[in-house]
Formats: sequence, C-alpha cells, structure tokens
Amino acid sequence: MTFPGVKALDDVSFCANPGEVLGLVGVNGAGKSTMMNILGGLLQPDKGAEIIIHGERVKIKNPKVAEELGIAFIHQEVAAFETMSVFENVLAYDFNKWRKKGSLFLNKKAMKEEVIRHLQALDCRIDVDTPAHALTVGEKQMIQIARALSQGGQILLFDEPTASLSDNETQKLFEIINNLKSQGYIIFYISHYLDEIFEICDRVVALRDGQKTGEAPVSEINKENLVDMMIGNAVECAERKGSRDKAKIILRAENITGVKFPKNISFDLHKGEILGVWGLLGSGRSELFNALLGIDRMVAGKISFGYEGDLKEVTHKQLYQHVGYLTEGRHHDGLFLDMPISKNITSSLLSKFASKLLGILNTRKENEESRLMMKQVNVKAVDENMIVSKLSGGNQQKVIIAKWFLKNPDILFMDEPTKGVDVGAKAEIQNLIFQKSGNGMSFVIISSELEEIMNLCDRIIVIAEGKLVDEVKREAFSQKALMAGIVKQENSYEN
Amino acid sequence: MIGAIAVMIFVLSITVENFMTWTNITNLLAQVAPIAFMAAGVTFVLISGGMDISGPAVMAASSVLAVAFITSFEVVTGVHLVIGCIILLIAGGLFGLINGLAIAKLKMVPLVVTLSMMTVATGLSTLLNGARGLPTIPTTYADIFNKYTIIGLLFVITWVLDFILTGTSFGRKIYYIGNKEETAKVSGIKTDSVLLKVYIIAGVCAALAGIVNVSSILTARASMGPQSQVLDVVSAAVIGGVAVNGGKGRVRDAVLGAFLIVGINNIMNLIGVSDYYTTLIKGSIIIFAMGIESIRTYYASRVRA
Repeated sequence: MTFPGVKALDDVSFCANPGEVLGLVGVNGAGKSTMMNILGGLLQPDKGAEIIIHGERVKIKNPKVAEELGIAFIHQEVAAFETMSVFENVLAYDFNKWRKKGSLFLNKKAMKEEVIRHLQALDCRIDVDTPAHALTVGEKQMIQIARALSQGGQILLFDEPTASLSDNETQKLFEIINNLKSQGYIIFYISHYLDEIFEICDRVVALRDGQKTGEAPVSEINKENLVDMMIGNAVECAERKGSRDKAKIILRAENITGVKFPKNISFDLHKGEILGVWGLLGSGRSELFNALLGIDRMVAGKISFGYEGDLKEVTHKQLYQHVGYLTEGRHHDGLFLDMPISKNITSSLLSKFASKLLGILNTRKENEESRLMMKQVNVKAVDENMIVSKLSGGNQQKVIIAKWFLKNPDILFMDEPTKGVDVGAKAEIQNLIFQKSGNGMSFVIISSELEEIMNLCDRIIVIAEGKLVDEVKREAFSQKALMAGIVKQENSYEN
Repeated sequence: MIGAIAVMIFVLSITVENFMTWTNITNLLAQVAPIAFMAAGVTFVLISGGMDISGPAVMAASSVLAVAFITSFEVVTGVHLVIGCIILLIAGGLFGLINGLAIAKLKMVPLVVTLSMMTVATGLSTLLNGARGLPTIPTTYADIFNKYTIIGLLFVITWVLDFILTGTSFGRKIYYIGNKEETAKVSGIKTDSVLLKVYIIAGVCAALAGIVNVSSILTARASMGPQSQVLDVVSAAVIGGVAVNGGKGRVRDAVLGAFLIVGINNIMNLIGVSDYYTTLIKGSIIIFAMGIESIRTYYASRVRA
C-alpha cells in the first residue's frame, strides 16, 4: 500500500490464531490504521499482497466483503444513534433482516431476544429499551461488541478501545475480551498503552514506518523490548536544560472568573517559566484558558502583562497579540483540516506575509518559512502543500506547534500538548518546549498525565471545581502533593 | 467547467443563427455582468461558510432608491447621475452591513437573516416604486454604461475580487473562517469583523449589478430583481465549484458559472422552451454539477483514506 510519496506499509506479514489476542503496536503513522483499513476493505493493498482466512485466499474489495468474512471493528470513537434504543443500535446494520414476513413492520420481539442473547453472552446487563444517550461510554462500547457478534463476526479488531473508558470499564472490557478469546474468536488489539498490551495480549506485532519491526509472545518480552521495537533506538526522556529560577513576572491574572468555571483564579507567570495547570477532567482547566484569553466570556477579572516586570493592565485583544493557544481539540479548533500545512502554519501570523497597505500576501515567503518551521519541529510530510487531514495525529500536533512557534509569542498556552501523540513525538514535543522556554518563552500547560506535567513544569497550580486549591513548587512535586490539593477541596465540600 | 461552457457555446452556435458575431457575443457578455457580480458577492459569503439570498432584492431596492433620488430633480444633470450611482453603491453596502451585523455580531442564522432582508428590500422597493412606477433617467446614463464599459467592468471587477480573495490576507482569512471558524478564532483572527466585511462586499456587489441593470431599462422597478434570480446567482457560484459548506472556491470560477447559467437561460429562450421547463432543466443541471463535485471528493478521499 503506497500513499503519495510515503510508503504506508512495506512487506508486512503476520498471522493470528483463533483463541488468541494479537496486539498491534506502533507509534502514530507506523501503519496500524492502514493495516486495519486493508482488513476492513477500505483500502486495497498493492499487488502481491495476500490475505488468507481459514486457509482460503480472500480479496477484501469493500467493507461489505469484510463483513461477510466475519471481520468486525470496535472503534475508539463510540458512535451510536443517540435517540434510538439499545436493541435498535445493535441491529442497525441490517433492519431488513428483521422485518416481519411480507410486512413493513419490524419484528421487535425477535430483535430484542437476539440482542438480549448477545448481551448476556457478554455478561452485560443493559435494558435493551434504554435510549443510547442514557448509556455510558463503556456501555456504548458493549453495544458495538454485541453488534459485531450478531453480525457473525469471527475476527474482531479492537482499535484503541479503552481511550475513553474509565478504569472499571476497562477491566470489564478485558474480561469480555478474555471471554471471547476462550470462545475461539480471533482478536486484534491495537493500543498506545503498553500496559494494556501486556495485560491482555498473547502475542504482539510491532510496526514502525510501515515495516514490521518485531513479533513476540508477550511473555517473552518486557516493556523496554517493546518500546525498542516501536521506536528503534530508545527515546531519552526529555530533560530540561538551563535554570528553573525565573525572576520577572510577565503575566498576572487576578480573580479570573468565567460564566460557570473558573471561579476567582489568580496566578503569576514568570518569563521563561513553564507553569503547569493540574486538575481532574471537568475541573475547569480548559475553561480557565478560554476565559483568560477571551475565547469565552470572562465575567470578572484583571489581566496584566508586561516585560521586565513592568505590568500594565491589558484587554483580551492586547493580550492575544503576545500569546499562542494550542487547544485540546486538534480537529475542533486547532487545525484547518482541508488546507495545506503551509497555510495552517502561517495562520497565526498572517500579517508577517502581507504588504502593509493592501495586505497582499507573499506566498513564496509563506512556503519558505513554513518549510523552515516544519524542519524545526520535525513534521514528517511530503511537502508544505500536503493537506493537513492526511497527516498522522502526531504530525498534526506538530503542525499546530509549528504554527505557534512561527508567531513566536511571549506566552504559549497549551492544553494537553501531547494528547493522542505517540511516545516518540511526545519526547520531541517536550524537548521543543524546553528549548523554547530556555529562550525566554513562557508556557502554561494543562496535562492529564501526572508524569508529563511533573517532568515539564517548574511550578504547578492545582484546580478543582473551578477554583485554585493549591500551588506546588518543583521541589515538592509528587503524585501525593498534587492529588492532596484536590482531595482537600473535595473534603471541604462534604463538610 | 470550461468543457461545459464549450459545449454551451457549441450548442448556441448551432441553434442560433449568427451567434458567432461580435455583436452577439458582446451582448451576451454584457448580459452576464449583473448575475456575475451578484454571484461574485455570494462567492465571498459562501466561502466564509455563510449564505446570502438577498442579492437580487438588494440590487432592486438600491437601484429604486438611486433612481428615485435622481428623478426627484426637475433637471437631471451629470452630477446627479454620479451622486445617484454613489447612493446606489452605499445603499447596497448598507443592506449588506445590516445582514452582516445580524449574522456576525448577533450570531443569527445567515439563511434566515438574508431571507428576511430579501423580503424587507422587496417591500421597500415596491413602496418607493409607487403605483405608477418611477420615471426614466436621461439616456446619458446608458451612454456611459454602454455594452463596452459593462464588459470592461465585468473583467476588471472579477479580477479585483478574485485577487482580494486569493491574494490578500483579508481573503485568506475568509477561507480560514469557512474552513473552520473555531480554529480561525483561536488563531487570533477577528472573525466578526471579517464576516461583517464579507456581507458588505456582497451588498456592494449586488449594487454593482444594479448599476448595470439600470443602464438597460433606464429606470428601476421592484420587479427587476425577482426572487427566482436568487437561484441563478447561487447556482452560478455552485456550478463554478464554490463549496456551499465554505472554505473552497474562486470568484473567477463563479463568474464562469454565471456565463453558463445565463447561456442556458438564453438557449431555453431562443428555442422557445416554456418557463416551467427552463426552471426544471436549470435545477437538474445544478444537481448534476453538485453531484459531479461530490463524486470527485468521494474518490479523492478514497484514494487518501
């Protein structure tokens, strides 16, 4: 399978056996998705490739053929028909089958029985009449699995199934996978989380740059071996160079209050400092950024900005000239997906390429600078004219970083800068943050990963229920210290 | 697109006697101008991810306003004509401004806003029009805006608008907004003020069409911008490949689309097809054109998957 200019998969062979969970690992862009798409009939392999199921050579021309062969996907994004009930969701792939003979009406009783049968096999107690919007993400995933089974699926492909599940739900899912395994299903399991691979898989195949770089039973390898297979040379964890003591305050936020969250948050940011914002999901972290930067309405609060510690009160608009904002939703408000890389990168500072009087754009300069930025942050693409939606997640994230580095703001706000990014790109991004902060750029970073935020930041403020509950200095960083602030807050609510 | 126009010209040249004459071609070009201007305005709006169906009504209302002003003088001089044209353009801009304020600042739905504006503008022009209609203006106007000036205007304005859209930072921002408004906002683009300007441009474009239309009847009537014309204007842009969802398209192509639409109208007229069939056929052509576009994007996405 060849993409324009990039070979997505190159001579990869592997086999899977019934009653076995085969893990498929690789960094973003390694070729996992391409592999899946070939099996699902969405992409056609180049000549010479063959797929053999139960000893028979097959050609998966389209998704319909894949379905007939018993190949079924359980996706990371759980899509359901929100207003329809559970049984309708499970059987949505073919209502025609459930029509009463010679009638336009559906045989709902038979449908429900079928669905109950499958749900019971999964040991899942959901009322089949519940509408999908009332279900949790984990339960919706069960629906997907039930659907795969009722379609006669024999080969189940789990694509990052735990990405949006809670720990309990993940455990539940693993039980089900083990259960299915013992029933003789062939199961593929794709994940970024190496712990999961070791927990659930029997054998693992690693891909890198479209090539198979390793295959082994998980019992015979450890995590380091696996990372080696995925990345090649072991990545060094990014380390901060330069001093972490910063003197001059560049931004002072006072009593920042939004419509719901945040509530009365004040903090200072020093020049060249990396400030972490830690809190649980829904604690109002992103809302703090949005209110502070004027994306959402700020009900009350005062923002002061200035160089050399000489602070002056500024409006959102004035502040925005000095900041960059990498948002959490890459596809929602981070990228112009249908536009080329170059136009994405230059969107942060279009005025740099426009003539003063009429705003005529210098496209050649745009392309040159984009190429430069792409090199700086190591975006892997054919060229700067490649459409962003064709890039892998990690490269897309790097395009957004390149976009803000082009503007070279005094402060860069980053909401989950390494979310959905593979191990290799993660370290690269962290290194870039260190490098820029060494040059005097200040960072405010939200991250859900404790390890990451503790490695990156000089100082962390802790937020719970939209309020600032604690501030932890680097010397005092520990998992306990960060959680303590949140626990304290929750206790005070109970009292 | 070019192929379709070639086919159309071929059909025209075999069905119509003396089609390939200088007079005929220039007549056709001049005839295209009003639709082309309005389609150009709509192109800006569509690329920004919005919609404007008030063009023809705004065109008529601004024209009626200007003609009413010009004919309010006993002796009309050249100065009055010039002021009249300026009033016409400003009126168009004002209609656009109101659209823009409602859509960009008050976040109202573009289709609803411009639909209401269409009704308001039509009402206003009917009112000013009066029962007896407006008197005519001096023929000097038609001498100034003759066939050749109009063709000149068509080329110059198409080029200028196309350049604004594709070559300036303002135009780029319109593409950004149409592609993803949220990202544009986070990127520091003042989406409100860009959108406001987009709707003003659409209004001024409609006024330009008014200037051309007034020259052919030397007066203005409420009926000069019938609601059915909205279809011609929007479909010219759509046939020209301007994305209805925003983010894609060019003025140049929308103007070519206008050629096609006006050409089709002409063929139908000349071979004596009734109005009912004309709309039917035009509608089918639009769906066909959009279908081709969809199929193309479908295959493009399959290749990249």
